[in-house]
Order: sequence, then C-alpha cells, then structure tokens
Amino acid sequence: MGSAHSVPEEIQELADKTGFTLEQIEHLHRRFKQISGDQQTIRKESFDRIPDLEFNPIRSKIVHAFFDKRNLRQASDGLAEEINFEDFLTIMSYFRPMEMNMDEEQLDHFRKEKLKFLFHMYDSDNDGKITLQEYRKVVEELLSRNPHLEKESARSIADGAMMEAASICVGQMEPDQVYEGITFEDFLKMWQGIDIDTKMHVRFLNMEPIAHCH
Amino acid sequence: AFPAPSCAGLGVGRGVGLQGEPSGAGFPIALIPSLGLSKKVTSVVPESCLLILLGLGLGGIVLAITKRAEYQLEPSMFFLFLLPPIVLDSGYFMPSRLFFDNLGAILTYAVIGTLWNSFATGAALWGVKQAGLMDKDVEAGLMDFLLFGSLISAVDPVAVLAVFEEVHINETLFIIVFGESLLNDAVTVVLYKVFNSFVEMGPAHVQATDYLKGVASFFVVSLGGAAVGLLFAFLLALITRFTKRVRIIEPLFVFLLAYMAYLAAEMVSLSSILAVTFCGICCKKYVEANISRKSRTTVKYTMKTLASSSETVIFMFLGISAVDTSKWAWDTALVLGTLLFILLFRAVGVILQTWVLNHFRLTPLDRIDQVVMSYGGLRGAVAFALVILLDGAKVRAKDYFVATTIVVVFFTVLVQGLTIKPLVKWLKVKRSDHHKPTLNEELHEHAFDHILAAVEDVVGHHGYRYWRDKWEQFDKRYLSQLLMRKSAYRLKDEIWDVYCKLNIRDAISFVDQGGHVLSASRLTLPSMPSRSSMSESSVTNLLRESGSGACLDLQVINTVRSRRDKEDAVMHHVLCGSLYKPRRRYKASYSRHFISPSTQERQDKEIFQQNMKRRLETFKSTKHNVCSAKSKARLKKDGRKKVSSPGVVLSHLPYPSSAVLVAVDSDDEESDSSETEKEDDEGIIFIARATDEILQGKKASGRDPLPAVATGLVLQGWHGELVPGSQGARAECHRAAGGVKASGAAAGRCARKAGTVLPQVRSQAVPGASVTAGFVTQNFTGLFFRRHQE
Repeated sequence: MGSAHSVPEEIQELADKTGFTLEQIEHLHRRFKQISGDQQTIRKESFDRIPDLEFNPIRSKIVHAFFDKRNLRQASDGLAEEINFEDFLTIMSYFRPMEMNMDEEQLDHFRKEKLKFLFHMYDSDNDGKITLQEYRKVVEELLSRNPHLEKESARSIADGAMMEAASICVGQMEPDQVYEGITFEDFLKMWQGIDIDTKMHVRFLNMEPIAHCH
Repeated sequence: AFPAPSCAGLGVGRGVGLQGEPSGAGFPIALIPSLGLSKKVTSVVPESCLLILLGLGLGGIVLAITKRAEYQLEPSMFFLFLLPPIVLDSGYFMPSRLFFDNLGAILTYAVIGTLWNSFATGAALWGVKQAGLMDKDVEAGLMDFLLFGSLISAVDPVAVLAVFEEVHINETLFIIVFGESLLNDAVTVVLYKVFNSFVEMGPAHVQATDYLKGVASFFVVSLGGAAVGLLFAFLLALITRFTKRVRIIEPLFVFLLAYMAYLAAEMVSLSSILAVTFCGICCKKYVEANISRKSRTTVKYTMKTLASSSETVIFMFLGISAVDTSKWAWDTALVLGTLLFILLFRAVGVILQTWVLNHFRLTPLDRIDQVVMSYGGLRGAVAFALVILLDGAKVRAKDYFVATTIVVVFFTVLVQGLTIKPLVKWLKVKRSDHHKPTLNEELHEHAFDHILAAVEDVVGHHGYRYWRDKWEQFDKRYLSQLLMRKSAYRLKDEIWDVYCKLNIRDAISFVDQGGHVLSASRLTLPSMPSRSSMSESSVTNLLRESGSGACLDLQVINTVRSRRDKEDAVMHHVLCGSLYKPRRRYKASYSRHFISPSTQERQDKEIFQQNMKRRLETFKSTKHNVCSAKSKARLKKDGRKKVSSPGVVLSHLPYPSSAVLVAVDSDDEESDSSETEKEDDEGIIFIARATDEILQGKKASGRDPLPAVATGLVLQGWHGELVPGSQGARAECHRAAGGVKASGAAAGRCARKAGTVLPQVRSQAVPGASVTAGFVTQNFTGLFFRRHQE
C-alpha cells in the first residue's frame, strides 16, 4: 500500500473513526463503488443490484437500516435519502468482529452498539420501544419465505413472543397494567443470554468482485 | 475395517466372548442402580471411572475364584454390537448446526491432529527404544511403533462422551472435541490398516507406492464412509415418508437402516463410524418430520437406552479385561514414555492447530479452550480393541503394547476423567446453559441469520453463511420435498416448531398442575417465568378475564359464568346471525358454542342475512360502498380464508364431551360464494375500512349512526373478550353508540379505532385457534392448515 505518508488523510480519519484497518477500508470502498455504480452516494435502489439479497425475507428492513439516520449517528431520525461512503462505513462498523485486546468497558459499549442497531431495525417508528404491531411485522417478514404459514400464525407467534418478553422483562404485572412495548433496556435483558459479540460480525476481507449487474 | 481382519477369527473370538456374556452381564448391571443411589459419589467421580473400577473388582473376583480370566472384551463383539449404538446415538442427537459451523476446526483436529499425534508418538517411542531405554524383549521396529502410535493416539468418542457429559462445558468446545473423536475414525482406520500391512509385509519390502496407496486409501475410506452414511440416510428418510400406515414399525426402520449403514461400510472396509455418524446427522431432520410423535419418543428412548447400556458394558469389560495378566507384559519405559508422549504431543498439536485455525474462525479459541481440548483427549475402548486385534505372530511386541494400552486407557479415563471437572471449574471455562429456546431467542436468531447473510451479500463476501443459505434454499426446494411427507413439509419452519412446542409444553404442564380445566386458578407455566398480561394481545385479555395468565385458549372453557358473560352470550346470539361471516372469525376465542351450526342456527342465519342485506341496501347509496369497491375482492378473499380457520378449532363449551376434539369441517364455509355472504363480509368490514379511507382522503359525509352503532355493538359484544385494550376506543364507542347524531369525527374516530381494532380482533381469533389447535393434537395443525389451503 505504500508508505504511510502516501495514505490520504481522509482514509486515516475514517479508519480512526470507524475502527477499520486501511485494507478493509480499501476493500469496502471498492465494494461501495460497485454498488453505487461509481457514484458518490448510494440510494435504496442501488441495493437492487445485489441479486442475492432478493431471497432475503427481511430485505426491506435491512435496506432501511442502512438509511436509518439513527444508525448513521445523526441527530435526527427518519430515513436518509442517500448515503455516502462514510455512512456506509459507519453502518458496517456495527459488524466488526471484536478484538482480542478490548477491555470490559469497550466490549460492553461494543455490545450495546450492536444491540442498538438491531433494536432500530425492529423499532421502525422510532418511539423507543417495539410495539406489538412492529413485532408482528417483523415476524411476518421472517416467515414470509414459507408460503404455507399464514399471516395469522405469524401474528400468533408474535403475540406469544411478546408475552414471553413481557414476562421476562416485567415479571409480575398488575391486571390493569398495560405493557406498551419492548424498550431498549428490556431488549438488552432479552439478549443477555445470547452471545452477540461473537455472533454478530462479518469478515471484511476476502471479498470477491461479485458480478452483479445483468 | 476392524472386524474384517478378525472375521476369520470371528468364530473363535465370538465363541469365547459370547459364552461368557450372558452370565457376566447380569451381575454388574444389577449393581448400576446402587451406583446411581449415591449422588455425591457420582458428582465427583464420573460414571465411567466407577464402572472401570467396578470391572476391575469383578475381574479380580473372578480371577481369584477360577484362577483364570474368563471374560474379555472381544474386539468383534465390541465393533459389531457395542460401538454402533453409541455412535448412532451421538450422530442422531448431534446438534447439526453447531457441528457444521465448526466443521473446519473439527476436521483439522481430526485429520491433522491425529496424523501428527500418531507419527510423533510412534517416532518418539522408537527413539526411546533406539536410545536403549526399553527392555530388550520389546521387539519392535519403526513400523511397529508407528502402528502402535496410530492406535493409541485416537481420541475415543465413548470416553469423551462419558466424561464430558458430566462436565457441561460450553457447546462449541464440546462439539469440537467430540466431533474430532468421531471423525478421526477414518484416519485411525487407514493408519492402522496401512501400518498393519506394512508390518506384515516386513519393513524391508515397503515401497514408495505403498505410501501413496496409503494416502489415497485415506480419502477413499473417509469419503466413502461418509457417502455410505449419506446414502443410507437418504434411504431412511425416503422410507419414513411412506410409513404412514405402518406407524408401529417406524422406529425399527431407523435402527435397522442405521445399523445397515454401519455394516455396509464395515464390509467394504470403509470407515463405519463415519458412516453411522453421517447417517444419523443427515437423516434426523427428515425422519423427525415424517414419523409420528410416539415413534419419535420411542426412537429417542431406545437409542439412549442402547447407547447407555453399551457404554456401561464397555467400561465394565475394560476393567474386567485388564485383570488378565497372561495377556500382557510390562515395560516401564514403554509405558511411561507413551503416557508422556501422548500428553505432550497432543498439547503441542492442539496449540499449533489452534493458532492456525484462529485466523479463519469467527470466534477464536482462547487459551483456556486449548487447555481443555488437550486435556480432554481421552483414549478408550477403541484403542484397547484395536490392540487386542493385533496379530501376535507378526507384531511380536503385542503383549507390551497391550499392557501399555491398558495403562493409558485407565490413566486417561480415571485420572483425566476425575480431574477434568475441577480443572474446568478452576479455569472458569464457559459452561453451557441448557435452557430450552424461548420463542424470542428463536425469532432473533433467525432474524440474525438473515441480517448477517444480507450484510455479507452487501459486502460481497461469500462467507460461510452464504453457502449455508444456499444449502438451505436447495434443501427447501428439492430435498425436503422429496424426503418429507407432504403434511410435514408444509409446516416446516423452526419458529413455528418452537412455538408449537412451547404451547404444547404449556398445555401439558397446565393440565399436570391440576388445572383441570374447570378451575380458574392462577397458574404459571414454564414458558413464562411469571404471569404476564398484555393488553395488546387479546389472548391475554381473554385469559386475564378468566383469571389466569396461561397462554391457552382453553382457559375460556372454565370461565366462571358471571353476569357479564351472560350478557355477552345474549349479545352473541343477537349478533350471531347478522354478522355471521365475520363473526365466525372470532369464534375461535370467543365462542362458547359448538361450531357446527345446527339447522336451526342456520336458518336463523339465513333470516338475519336477509335482514342485513335489506339494511345494506339502504347504505348502498352512500359513499361507503364506493370506497369499499376496491377492497371488496381482497377482503372477500381474506374473509373467506379467515373464515375457514375457526371452523376447525374450538370448542369451549358447555358441552364437554366431543366438543373439544372435533374439527368441524363445516361445509358452510365452502358455500362462500353466495352473494349475501359476500355483502355480509362487507357489512362489517367496509364500515371499518371505508371509514378509514374516508377519513384519509375524502370528507366524511353524513355519517349514519348505524355503522357506528353497529361497530359499537360489535365492540361491545366482544369487548370484554377481545378488544385489545384500547380503552379509548371503548369509551368513544360507547359514546358514539349512544348518540344518534354522532358527530362525524367521533364516529369516525371510533370507527377508525374500530377499524384498527377489528382487523386485530379478526386476527385474534386465530391465535386462539392455533394455540388450541396446537394443544389439542399435533394433527390438528395439519387440519388447521389444510383449512387454509382451501
């Protein structure tokens, strides 16, 4: 890659901000160019260029996640129209593998970040909690690949899951208490058992140029 | 591979073995329960150790009495009868996802690790011999030592299982060690045979081509063994697809075909352990889907029983066989050297391989894992059987080898087995938490997989997940259709399975806890740590009303009939006819009446439908109709589909008996095509929906109070039961229903809330339906969904 001084400032900055190595940034940049068709920004439509994504049942949610301003660490919420390379990297940084030399606090922070990303995916209206409707939508999408399971079953599953969540998070409830939805703290509680640090990451090297535009 | 050389000697071996067998086995097995009694002992000392010691004791007794050792672990009996059940059991119950996730690591350790171990140990021992530390009587050359090295270095599945079972380390670690012990069989087989043949030929005659042949045979043996296993798995899955009429012998097929896989591989000298392992792993998914629940239980328990008794017998015989000193000869240097080398080389091998693997793995294996892995490399009965199988004439140091093997096996099982638990605790190895997957976890795991696969796609990385995804698609499209029964295929989904399982578990425990459906006591169910009630779910509401937090619709059966219930019943009757079609949807959770409508009911319905139709005519001129025109078709279809569902289920009712089980397949549902019913559909729906649309775009004109009243009624009719907690809606609707001149806004709001409520309410029927369907019998889900197909 040449000696250090030939590395542009911006790339170094990006590396520091997002935690990727220079090589990874270069790989990702190449990929970004592929997706965006050599433009500066990506729009939602650009994701259509990735053929494999079509089979994914929760595709729309994932694409939204890329444009979700909360994930982009911007102050506002809602969906951005287009994202540039830096935003792309920001989203990708949620999926970095954990490093061996991280200390407890960093690990915890890392974990929270990842869980926040997931939380934003479920919570589409950004009211800070996942309501039953939103949960239902997610389950419906998840089960949409199986043509024989109807929407009602998806709903009943979502209801059951919601009840389970309520019982885990809130425990005993008064008869009149209304459980609004899963807040982020509850979400954290639910995920306590699952080892997300090790599961939620993607390896960022070894990328082949995928021929994708037919 | 193993019985093959001994097949010639099979007659002899078996004769001796079997003679002693019947009387010998009874006694020790009777002692097992007494072992189980002292829990304290077994929590410290693994069962395998106890069994070996017991065997030793028994052998000693027999020796003392008869002055010669009667019983021995016969290799043929071991390989033909004792080993297959254990391997089958481990293959069948192997967590396949975990296995394939870690397959790279497992293969590395199994192949490269075992190769390294055998060569290193053999060479080191030969070095010791050359250095003159060994007794002159140990007449062994390099080949002999290599042969010995190959058989002593294989990690034994039986021992690993027995010891690790009690230790409860985390699954990844367990699967790596255990997978390695299963898969290294191929390597062991090849090495053993190759070196055996080299020894027989004499080291002088070994040529280069023989080495190559050896290498080639490794691939043949391992891949061939796996292929045999896959073939039989395929056959088994296919057969179980058609066993609907012979349910009673389904378990037999499973065992038969798996054993056939073992024998077939043995006959062709391929790796039989690999064959059975892969047979078990691959067939499980399809077999479990195809066979009946009772068969599943039978298979599970039979397998566990067979495996457990085989294990017991194996360890016992290890102990008994050790007592026969005529068969072995002691050489200190050899024994100590072997012990030292196997530990040392295993540790070195593990460290090196892990260092390489960590570059490729998603979750690196840290130091503690490595310690556990190297310490957990136990040798067991397989090594012992192999050494007994050696030809004493060709391998002159056989007796020394036998003694060494006995010591090694005893050492690993006893010493390492005893100390591994404290070691694990001391190192604070991550333990496994055996909890059943909750619904949320299952959901999230699925969502996770998809998210990660998507990100991988975006990043352009064809990682492991990509291929797994591709495999699953292939499986779904071709394999499952071919191998799974139609009814099972349709419902195949992990989330749904977990959901059903949870429901059934809840239901069973509900009944077990003495809920007797007539008591409305508050119960807690396993799937929920504490009672919860959520207003958003009507099922909960329903149950809240009836005073229990159970996730079961059956609760409705036992609601105490309060005054309000009676009112509701009356309301129900009134509305039953007029809102017949949509009504049916809610029947699932609300209805107290048996599904199949009597003729009287039907007539009532007809009459009411006529009335309703007339009433609707008067509305025809309003905008409502215009708006709803678009949604007609869709709603009708929806309505029809949904209508059919409740038809199947319920029977909460005063009529205890048959009610519960009959899936009324009422054919009314099929007569959906009548015009009147179509309009009935819209009778309610469009009120709710159209108003929605109206509110959104068009102006609400002269709202007729009737829709509001109707919806109010509807709401009131079920609000105790069904309305998902929008108290606001309730209040407003009361108001709206009361006032004739309801202002457009209030009625609209009410109707809109109703609109949002109704679709929910509509669907709530189904959770009840599916839940009870889930509870009543599994077959019902089949029925239930068949309903949907129509």
